[in-house]
Formats: sequence, C-alpha cells, structure tokens
Amino acid sequence: MAIWEGIITGMAQAGFVDMPPSVQEASRKVSIVGIGESDFHLDYRAERERADGWEPRTVEDMCKKAFERALADSGLKRSDIDGLAMSYTYGGPEPSEMATHFGIQPKLGWINGHIFAGPLPNAAGRIMAGDAEVIALVFGIANRSAGRQFGGMTFASGAAGPSSYYYHHPWGWSSQAAHWALMAQRYFAKYGKGEEDLGHVPMTVRKHAATDPNAVMQKPFTIDEYMASRYIVRPLHLFDICLVTDGAVCVIISEADRARDMAKVPVDVAGWGHSLITQDKMKVMIEDRLRPQLQDAGGQALRMAGLSIDDIGHFEGYDASSIHLVNQVEGFGFTEPGTGLDFCIDGQMTLGGRIPTNMNGGNMSYSYMQGWGQVPEIVRQLRHEAGPRQIEGLQASMSALTQTDIVHPVVYTRGD
Amino acid sequence: MAQQRPPRMTGPGHDTFWEGCGKGEIRMQHCPDCGHRPWPVVTSCEQCGSEKLKFERVSGKGKLVSWCTFEQSYYGDLLPVPWDTIIVELDEGPWFISNPKGFTNAEAKLGMALKVSFLDCEDQHGAFALPVFEPA
Repeated sequence: MAIWEGIITGMAQAGFVDMPPSVQEASRKVSIVGIGESDFHLDYRAERERADGWEPRTVEDMCKKAFERALADSGLKRSDIDGLAMSYTYGGPEPSEMATHFGIQPKLGWINGHIFAGPLPNAAGRIMAGDAEVIALVFGIANRSAGRQFGGMTFASGAAGPSSYYYHHPWGWSSQAAHWALMAQRYFAKYGKGEEDLGHVPMTVRKHAATDPNAVMQKPFTIDEYMASRYIVRPLHLFDICLVTDGAVCVIISEADRARDMAKVPVDVAGWGHSLITQDKMKVMIEDRLRPQLQDAGGQALRMAGLSIDDIGHFEGYDASSIHLVNQVEGFGFTEPGTGLDFCIDGQMTLGGRIPTNMNGGNMSYSYMQGWGQVPEIVRQLRHEAGPRQIEGLQASMSALTQTDIVHPVVYTRGD
Repeated sequence: MAQQRPPRMTGPGHDTFWEGCGKGEIRMQHCPDCGHRPWPVVTSCEQCGSEKLKFERVSGKGKLVSWCTFEQSYYGDLLPVPWDTIIVELDEGPWFISNPKGFTNAEAKLGMALKVSFLDCEDQHGAFALPVFEPA
C-alpha cells in the first residue's frame, strides 16, 4: 500500500500541506459529492456598511453555514459523514469542537493544512486508505475581520515566509501586489502590451462574477473605468488585485463507487500535481512567470488523469492578480507565452472561447478563499448546473493554486 | 543627512552583505561547488545544498529588467508615495531589487545599463549604505 502511505505522509507537516504523489492508481478513486459556501456577498456588504448591531462573522459560524449547505447539496444524512478535515489559514477551533458544532460524530478528524489544493488529495488519500468513507473538508478564514494586510511591516524582517515578502524593506519594496506589478511591467515591455490590454482580464472575470449572486463584486466595468481606477502598485490598478474577504467553503468527498448512487452527478478527482520554485525566485517569477513549474505540475496532473491539456474545457486559476492568471493560462499551455492578453481580448477566456476561465469571478471578484473557492464552481460546471454561465457539454476542468513560488493544479472529470 | 528607511535583515551573512555596502562594494554569496550565486542571503546553496558559500565582490553593473511604483503606501510616513522601485539583473546573474538614482520609473527602459551607487541611510539598527542604481 505504498501509494496510500505516500499520500498520507504529505499531511504530516503542520500548516502547509504538500501534495501527495501524482500516481494513476489514485485517479478517480474519490469524488466530490457536495459543495457549500458562506454568504460572501452579504457578509462583505455588511462588513463594509457596519450598521448598528453589526458583528464580525466568526470562522465557526461561516464554516457551519458552508457545511450545512454542502450537506443539503449532497443529499447525505449527518450520520453519513464519518470524517472531518478542518483547514484554516489564521487558526480556528479543533475538529472535535467543530464536529459538535456541525452535529456530527466522525470517527476521523484532523487539521488539514490551510490553502488549497494539498488538502483535497490528502483527504482523498484517507478515503483510499479506508480511514473514512465520506469526509467533509471545511475551510474557514476571517481575513477581513482580522484586518489582514499583505504588505509593509506586516511581514517583518525575520518573519516566517518567503524572503521576497520582507527582505527588501530598505528599498521600500514589499507586498504581494508588488510581485505581480514587476511581472506585469516586464510583460508589457517585453511583448509590447499595456494596461489597456491587461484590463480585459479582470473585466472578463468580473463579467463572469455578474452571473453569480454570491460573488462579492458583481458590477461589470468597462476598459475606461478600469483605466480610471486608482493604482495600487503601478502598473497595476485596484481591479488587477484580489479581494480580501471573510468566508468558508465546504467540500464533501466520498469513495467514487459509492458516489455513483448519490443525489448529484459525481465530480471525480482525476489528477493533481506539485511544483515549487527552489532557487532564483525573483527571476523565475518575473522572467519565466513560473512556466517551468506550471508545465511540470500541470503535466503531472494531466498524466495522472490520463488527459491532455486539449481535453480541459474549463479553468479556475489563482487570480491573486490579473497578470498572474495570464501566467497560468500561458504556462499550462492553453495559449503560447506572450499571447495571453490577445487571447483574452479575443474572447478565448470566456463562454464560447477555448478555455472559459474563473467563471464565478475568482479571487478578484467572487471571494478570496485561498483556492478553495475554485471547487464549488468546478463542481457546478461539471454537473452542468452553472446556469447562465454554463460551459456547454463540459467533461473536464482544471483548477490551480498558484502562489509566487508554488503550483498546485487539480484535474476533475464528470463522473457519469 | 541620512535617509530613514524600513529595517534591514540582520544576522549572520546579512551583516557581511551590509558591511560590504559600507565599503562601497556589493558582496554576494558564491557557491564554490556549483557556481551558483544565491540572493537574498541563504544558509546553504539553494541549487546544490553546499554549505561552503563564500562572499565575493560583484561588479555592481547590470541592466534594468523591470520596475514598479508604489501608489498605495505600505510604510506610512516613513516613505513617500509614489515610490519607485526597480529590479536589476546583475552581470553575475542575480536579480536585485533596488531604487533608481538619476532617473525615475517614467523614464525607465527595459535593458537600460545601470551601475551601483550607495546612499547614506539609517534604520533601527543604525547608519548604513544602501545600494541603488544609476544609468551606467
């Protein structure tokens, strides 16, 4: 059982969860059978308005809402849930406490890292190992209520984390956005593009979000409005940068054969991949835009799934910034390097195009759920339940958690 | 008068780098086993794992590979916005975050030849010389 042992080893690390090995034997053994989200849109509005009596949402209550919705979506009974995997980025209650909160009595409960995508294949490994049959994976984050910022002295010298976050304080260079700004500026200079080209990426993603009533930002904007919006780190505008939001996502998974008898069309976890920048991070980020890592990890996930990039009809990428979504669309091979902006302007990243991308609005418009928010949209699309933004006849989707130095793609297929 | 800046990273290795700056030199780690030049400072070679890294002077010459300007303030009153930052590919290979001297980002051109210059600065650890880059 070396495969499953290897998969479970990935969980051993506290915090960030490594990807287990990408092996064909583990493909489509586990299916997603239920999804739920908290009230991203309503909670965000309430936090902005802060009417009398407003209180910040707690991680517990947002997780409870997401769990109840996922349970209802799956058609399962509370007693069917025999595993509970909790993922938090900034901490949360023990799984035993959350099980009580959810009214379930799982035989297996653990803290399953935080950001996507490692937690999904690791939980799948527990099912394949026979430790549980149906696991609820719940992610919760109170980013906004905690006043979280992503730059300046919030990453002090010597703090844990990638050195690019704090090492360059004396030059006044900091923040997540600054990474993407250097990438975008080089892209513009190298390929003869500009802000008005890049603006089509967040504009397209926002257009998608306009069809999702739970997306935080739903109001479409024009290129003129994009150009008039304030800069964060030039050349990037406000609309090029992800949101900071509170929320929770629940994903219920089951052994694949059993999933065939459940309420909804199962969505099979078909493949995953892992790749990391190990040296010269600035150069690989800004010059290569992570292409070597995207090719490596994407190749692993596709080979595991027995598919090619041409089979993927839908992509949910990690749009920490608009330019970073372009990095992924190019880097995985949906289009050639340097052609991503023309590809988007040509309508290839929306309905009717080659690869409809970030169909619920992604990190820039839907909610910043550290990759977990990609799953509900993939499940809706593969079930063919996505309403006005449904990709016709979709059979295979890909998600990717792509940070400044890590690439974690997952491939999913419709399981009927 | 010395400019106030957000704090440097200090400690073993980092101090060696800043001491070099104080003498008008950029000193960077070099791996005698694989030839790699890591930056920022590391405890072992990120390419081959060697722990024999040695600091060596580099030329201080390079070319401009990208730039960005902070319009949102991340350092409060310490640094004004807009705030120009650049990234320089040093002739020896490493990509080095810095500030422009003698030009602004509005005048930046991809591939501009640049050379190092040192600016008198001060942070919570004391006075130091900050490497910035001007047209070569």
